[in-house]
Amino acid sequence: MILSRLLRRLPMLLAVVVTAATLNFALPKLAPKNPVETKLLEMAEQGGSLTDISGLIRSYEERFGLDQPVIVQYFSYLKGLATFDLGYSLAFYPTRVADLILKALPWTIGLLLTSTLIAFVIGLLFGALIAWNRAPRLARVIAPGVMALAALPYYLLGLALTYVFAFIWQIFPLGGGYSLMALPSWSWAFALDVFYHSLLPALSIVLASIGTWALTTRGLMVTVQGEDYMVYAEANGLSERRRFLHYGLRNVMLPQVTALALHLGHIAAGAVLVERVFNYPGVGMLLFRAIEQSDYFVIYGVVYIVVLMIAIAMLIVDLIYPLLDPRIRAEARQ
Amino acid sequence: MADVLQVHDLSVDYQLATGAVHAARNVSFTIAAGERVGFVGESGSGKTTVALALLGMLRHPGRVVGGSAQLEGTELIGLPRAAHAQLRLSRIAYVPQGAMNSLNPVQTVRRSIADGLADHGQPLAGTTLTERVALLLQQVGLTPEVADRFPHELSGGMKQRVCIAIAISLSPRLILADEPTSALDVVTQRQVMETFGDIRARLGSALMLIGHDFGLMAQTVDRLVVMKDGRIVETGEVRDVLRRPEHPYTRDLIASVPTLGERRSGGTLASTDERSPVIHLAGAGRTYGAGLRRPGVMALRPLDLALGGEPRILSVVGQSGSGKTTLGDIVLGFVDPTAGAALYRGQPIASLRGAARQAYRRDVQAVFQDPYSAFNPFYRVDRALAQPLLKLGIVRTRSEATARMQAACAEVGLDPDRVLGRFAHQLSGGQRQRLMVARALMLRPRVLVADEPVSMVDASLRFAILDALRTLRDRHDVTVLYVTHDLATAYRVSDHVMVLHSGAVVEEGTAEAVLREPAHAYTQLLVDSIPWPDPDRAWGGSALRSDNGSSPQTKTGR
Repeated sequence: MILSRLLRRLPMLLAVVVTAATLNFALPKLAPKNPVETKLLEMAEQGGSLTDISGLIRSYEERFGLDQPVIVQYFSYLKGLATFDLGYSLAFYPTRVADLILKALPWTIGLLLTSTLIAFVIGLLFGALIAWNRAPRLARVIAPGVMALAALPYYLLGLALTYVFAFIWQIFPLGGGYSLMALPSWSWAFALDVFYHSLLPALSIVLASIGTWALTTRGLMVTVQGEDYMVYAEANGLSERRRFLHYGLRNVMLPQVTALALHLGHIAAGAVLVERVFNYPGVGMLLFRAIEQSDYFVIYGVVYIVVLMIAIAMLIVDLIYPLLDPRIRAEARQ
Repeated sequence: MADVLQVHDLSVDYQLATGAVHAARNVSFTIAAGERVGFVGESGSGKTTVALALLGMLRHPGRVVGGSAQLEGTELIGLPRAAHAQLRLSRIAYVPQGAMNSLNPVQTVRRSIADGLADHGQPLAGTTLTERVALLLQQVGLTPEVADRFPHELSGGMKQRVCIAIAISLSPRLILADEPTSALDVVTQRQVMETFGDIRARLGSALMLIGHDFGLMAQTVDRLVVMKDGRIVETGEVRDVLRRPEHPYTRDLIASVPTLGERRSGGTLASTDERSPVIHLAGAGRTYGAGLRRPGVMALRPLDLALGGEPRILSVVGQSGSGKTTLGDIVLGFVDPTAGAALYRGQPIASLRGAARQAYRRDVQAVFQDPYSAFNPFYRVDRALAQPLLKLGIVRTRSEATARMQAACAEVGLDPDRVLGRFAHQLSGGQRQRLMVARALMLRPRVLVADEPVSMVDASLRFAILDALRTLRDRHDVTVLYVTHDLATAYRVSDHVMVLHSGAVVEEGTAEAVLREPAHAYTQLLVDSIPWPDPDRAWGGSALRSDNGSSPQTKTGR
């Protein structure tokens, strides 16, 4: 059943990706400036040693295939995407964009996937708890604090945490993905080092996003508590724990899982400013640098990866949602 | 016989900012072991409040302010929460009114039953659980396969029986059922009430049945308690109360029960000249969910119908899923027929544009089932009434509109000064539903589609609203399409009756002919299923159990 659903969803996924890729291709073409020219002019201003700029532009355009008719460029671009060939970085030529992204992606996914999932679970439980009629007093007391955290941007929280824990108390590193001394390898020592470096950025993301999850969950939980099945569960003398988890939270989870999936799609872009604050070697940092250096091809590459990830995340939701909601399962069967 | 429940001087207040509302005042009654006691009264009479107090489920600001309630010696009032929760289901079980949405949508029936057992000290699993669940389902007339279904895969009647299966899962001494059948059609209602009867015979549980239908009470309970404004006004054997009601309020309630007995003679008709019909269904039918390879579900088989001439009040009756609401929706232009045509003055309704569409919208009006959700809660009711008048260009000025509104309110028996200028939540269900009729009436429509207009209002108000429909017919030359599952009101109000079954017309004719001497077996079944307010009159003929394991039916109305 899962397989047939996957096959049915696949064309849609493909259509989304191709459309996004096309937009990604067309939009820069509409821009009045040519990225190569912009880059070279910039270099000329800084270095002042380039003489035959227009000749250079032509030779660069030839190398990047920019002198071909648009339609030819488009198809070779699509062909490139299919083989994960996203072109070359302008700033670090001849490094391939795909290599840059592939190098950064594990850092970002490792950091954001874990922290987003942790924030989701805590936020869901906490939000449901403060909406519950007979919530523990502790939850009620700390609720305003958590809500206030929701109003803070990640990076501000990150700055504050760095200042306190890394600068004043110096119990955590100031930034980076691993120690300068450590050599990346598959060893426990290195893994521990990575974990140690990821704690502060992860904490800032978790703290800042718990509030958002808690707020939306609270609203949903208030609605669910008014449902007939909640009243009936109470009338049947079901335990508080069962009513909260299996009747309340279980039904609140359904829309929240969709929200989570959409959210997860976005993490490929990294939490740009958090990674910047912690100097973390993820996609967000890559994107930040690319914007700074007008490295267009890297920007396009990152945007493309984000679209791809969102499309895949939606596909995964489509596939797991029937497992969560029997009503959807029935529709899917038809 | 020992008493299961002894309630003495129970009083419940709702403490509001404006002062205390006495929802129940000095209520005293007893229920003997195995006895069936019916609680009747209109909405707000306090019967549900008493039930909630017994269950320990009064919500803030409701509070028991005095009295006692003993369940076989256990004092319920003031019992700690946890202890009260343990009593619920194991000794006093509850069957809800809205069984439609009372089961957790993400759990199977098996899980729902198992949860109740587990939280009362019987955590069962595996084959022990399967056997227990199968036994419980069998006791309420359901097959064991139902255990693996989810709530959305069950019909309303089946869900209600699952709730009864849960209620009896720990053999309670008292079952408390709050309007358990008010959302069901007559045939399903009889099946569910028979299930209650079987259960009582087998377990000997006492039944506290809350309701407003004297007919249902007469057929199902031993003793009646009549409540009004939080007080018990009359109590006695069901026969005595029905035959010799002492309190004038009880008399009023009994008088408002529609039956197939007496019938007011129809007034003189305003005009009988033959004109072209306003709405003409020419072989119109509707199929849902048809695909390339699937035939789909035939909700309504092609039929011919003309509205706007004779007969003036046409009732369409049938169970849920019979296609009666689809018929109303086609006339209202909410759905297009997939076969034949629905014509407004000769034009297909779907093709109407501009002025013709405006004229259609004015000529064909609707009154819906739920008067609670028909008004926008943010505006005063005047707005809902005045808007169509101004939009359709019937009146030019506000003052004209107000004059019209006042006249229309008076015509449906409302005091304009008391209802206009208020918000919907400040009005009772009956007032709101009469306002909906008034709203339709002000536009001077030619055709009015009334889909279950009285199923959610108190019995005593039903006649006022139905009589307003008759007034419309007599004074304003309006044709009414009355869609209902309630045969008794159809009989009372209509000139012509059409019986729908599985999307097809099985019988039609004058109200007398169809309902007093039904020719078709299905009509016979519907008529037999009406509970008569007479305990000595047997309820229906052979018991029918067609609902078992059948495919889920569409939900009732809107």
